[in-house]
Amino acid sequence: MNAADAPAPLLRVKDLTVEFRTMDGIVRAVDAVSFDIWPNETVGLVGESGCGKTVTGLSLLRLIPSPPGQIINGSIELEGLDLLSLDAGDMEKRRGSEIAMIFQEPMTSLNPVFTIGSQITEVLRRHRQLSQRQARELAASLLAKVSIPDAGRRLDDYPHQLSGGMRQRVMIAMALSCNPKLLVADEPTTALDVTTQAQVLDQMRELQNEFRMAVLLVTHDLGVVAETCQRALVMYCGSIVEAGKTEQLFSSPRHPYTAGLLASIPRIRAERIAELPVIPGRVPDPGNLPAGCRFAGRCSHVQSRCHQERPTLRSVNGNAVACHYPLGADI
Amino acid sequence: MNEFSSVAGARAVNRRNSIWRKVLRKFLADRTGVAGLAAVLVYFVAALGVWCGWWGTDWADLGGSKWEAVSAAHWFGTNIIGQDIFSRAIYATSTAFEVGVVVAVLATIIGGVLGAFAGFFAGSWIDELLLWAMNVLDAIPFYLFVAAVAYSLAGSPYAMHVAMITSFWIGTGRLVRGEVIKLRNMEYIEAAYAIGLSRFMIIFRHILPNTSHILLVQASIAFVSAIKAEVILSFLGIGIRDGMSWGLMIEESTKEVLAGFYNNFIAASLLMFGLVMAFNALSDALQDAMDPRKVA
Amino acid sequence: MQYVLRKMLTGIPLILGVTLVSFALMVYFGPDMTYQLLGKNPTAEQIIEVRHQLGYDQSFIQRYLAYLTELIRLDFGNSSSGEPVRSLLAKTIPVSLILILPGFLLGHILGVLLALAAAFWRGRWADKLIMAIAVIGMSVSFLIVIIAFQILLCSSDGLNLFPVRGWNVQSLPDYLSYIAVPTLATTFVALGYETRFYRSVFVEEMTRDYVRTARAFGLSSRRIFFRSIFKNCLIPIITRVMFSIPQVAIGGSLLIESYFGIPGIGKATYEAIITGDQPVLKAVVSLTAILFVFVMTLNDILYRAVDPRVSLK
Repeated sequence: MNAADAPAPLLRVKDLTVEFRTMDGIVRAVDAVSFDIWPNETVGLVGESGCGKTVTGLSLLRLIPSPPGQIINGSIELEGLDLLSLDAGDMEKRRGSEIAMIFQEPMTSLNPVFTIGSQITEVLRRHRQLSQRQARELAASLLAKVSIPDAGRRLDDYPHQLSGGMRQRVMIAMALSCNPKLLVADEPTTALDVTTQAQVLDQMRELQNEFRMAVLLVTHDLGVVAETCQRALVMYCGSIVEAGKTEQLFSSPRHPYTAGLLASIPRIRAERIAELPVIPGRVPDPGNLPAGCRFAGRCSHVQSRCHQERPTLRSVNGNAVACHYPLGADI
Repeated sequence: MNEFSSVAGARAVNRRNSIWRKVLRKFLADRTGVAGLAAVLVYFVAALGVWCGWWGTDWADLGGSKWEAVSAAHWFGTNIIGQDIFSRAIYATSTAFEVGVVVAVLATIIGGVLGAFAGFFAGSWIDELLLWAMNVLDAIPFYLFVAAVAYSLAGSPYAMHVAMITSFWIGTGRLVRGEVIKLRNMEYIEAAYAIGLSRFMIIFRHILPNTSHILLVQASIAFVSAIKAEVILSFLGIGIRDGMSWGLMIEESTKEVLAGFYNNFIAASLLMFGLVMAFNALSDALQDAMDPRKVA
Repeated sequence: MQYVLRKMLTGIPLILGVTLVSFALMVYFGPDMTYQLLGKNPTAEQIIEVRHQLGYDQSFIQRYLAYLTELIRLDFGNSSSGEPVRSLLAKTIPVSLILILPGFLLGHILGVLLALAAAFWRGRWADKLIMAIAVIGMSVSFLIVIIAFQILLCSSDGLNLFPVRGWNVQSLPDYLSYIAVPTLATTFVALGYETRFYRSVFVEEMTRDYVRTARAFGLSSRRIFFRSIFKNCLIPIITRVMFSIPQVAIGGSLLIESYFGIPGIGKATYEAIITGDQPVLKAVVSLTAILFVFVMTLNDILYRAVDPRVSLK
């Protein structure tokens, strides 16, 4: 299904702002982030570690550890209902059944002292009226769906008896169990080896179509985004600096940061180059951000305006870019 | 040392300094901890006065009659044989510091060094031997062990100190061992090998300083444990032998309490409670300020 | 069963260590008993004779082996009062057990419950109150608590509810009235430490990734806390309880029994220390070491029951 065909976005995030109280004062981890996700769509949220992408993902489920974190502004509308306005109990019921999240560490994300069967059935029975036996049968069929061999017997295994890839599949099975409309996947394949990574991603794509859910894929891996996402959002220092269709974003990046990220991917078939290009400089201290464009200090195209005025997202040749002087634009 | 390693060294020192500054800032922001420190300092001044002979000198004098009430001459009254309870309580404060400091410092040094060796040579016979020694000493109940040491040292005034140090280093030793096993695999240790430093040099110059957060907290815990253990051991008759301590005062007071005279008991109990409470608050604040997960 | 035996075997170096330390401290470097046995004006022959009896003319190793043989045969001889050590133990150990057990259990159970409450309402007023009381409890000396409770509950200046000291147990009400004050005191002192320890265990477990996962799938915080987290915490709880058994069984009762004049193993040990009664001390030390190994083995078996990651191999 094409994003434009749907009448309304599934998820509409507006001006989401998250702050953390730390010893060094208040740190704004996510700063006025806005984006939409359409039904059955896969959107990549890309950036370096510490750019706020994971915090954004957690905010969608209201899972920010609080204290010290707090959502101080914005709205998160899932099918028109603002999740931030719900009371804690109401939100709890929607986690897992309408919006679920899986995490990077398949090693530690499952409870070590319960069998995977009991962990899946616990989620199932939380959201659906099922007997223990029905839940167990359903859990077995879910494990079979994520290609875990001998699923019925595997239910009685403990997490440490499974490989990393299997554990991540169990997580996916749990995520699918209550048929959520949106799945937030935070670096779901980063901890896995390359072969397993590809298998898990393929599987996610298949199941996404079967279960008709949307996925927000949070990752630092541009390769994964290129392979799986229809659209991508690039985050830097708590803000989205560029957003657009993946193909267009990758073929003609408008923001110097996106261009820098793309250039720093090693390519096997490229002509031999002396050194892999890197983005010079370091990410500014989140407690002490510059006044103008946050990328100005590292940007090779920087001009004096960049240090004074913070650019906002605007449309440039199909992409949305937060840059005063976008690359390849005819201005 | 070549230019590169001295620059790296300076950077490491700078980093260490900035971490300590952060710890200090965090500690100062903790009101309970600062109050604890202030109270400990007050006690310390009291003890210092005793060492300098400013006050508490008449703790053994028979300056009054039996069980005098609180008065201007005897602030806390007098005990069963007419000694001034205030002087005795103040004098006992200095004893508490002596026991606490001696035990805390020595137990921490021994625990730090042996723990570092065990951790650095983890898996070798040195580690096995030290672990065995720790388990053996752990298996013997503390009060029994102190008694056995007191017995074998046949009346030495330091039997209690020796026993406490022998027991208290183990906790520090285990923690330091665990930390050193982590540190041992860090790159800067490999770098130190690479530039040809000896193993002893590495342990003492590059590993032990990085466990100082554990050592400081453990020393504060050992201090409190020593003071508390002293009271019980002195009461049992296997603690302080010469001089005066809170434990001896309480031992003395048990006879008085049955006769309904509470001054001695209350004076010793409250003073001891105050110091231990203050030190616990201080120790908690130190732990919070130095939790590496919170500093990072 | 094989596993248990194997586990017990690994405790042998530990037992050897403990007996070695106790032998060295109490026998080899202990005071010379020659003149105590001989009385006034012994002759040189008498001295040599007694020293030979006591084994003072043998080497360290020989004497240690002799000591070990006595331990293995559980033959500790007679105490200096002439009573066989075995009958002394048989008489005193049950008293200590029924004296210490209620306070020991109460301390741990209440500690876990208070810690659960504090951790569940972490950062709220209930947590702050519980932890403040715990620090106060930790800061009062055991001895002071005993004396204060005795004044408050047993003396004519206080409530005068229970016997001041002693042990004259003929019936259940007797038993309860004699253990009341010791139990209150041990529980009070233990609570501070136990609550703090267990709370830190619970709080640390609350930060684990699996807790976040459970929350992301909509499980209620109550269910996560009391089911998922609690089961993980059983491992440190078991260890804590197990390893405090040897300490409490001997160390804890030493002060209580000698203060209240209760004829338990603690008091017997205390008297043996004061009088230098070696056979009794020897027996207590070795029993403690054996108890420690036993507890370690039991601990491993319980681990196995709770943590699927631990296997019997």
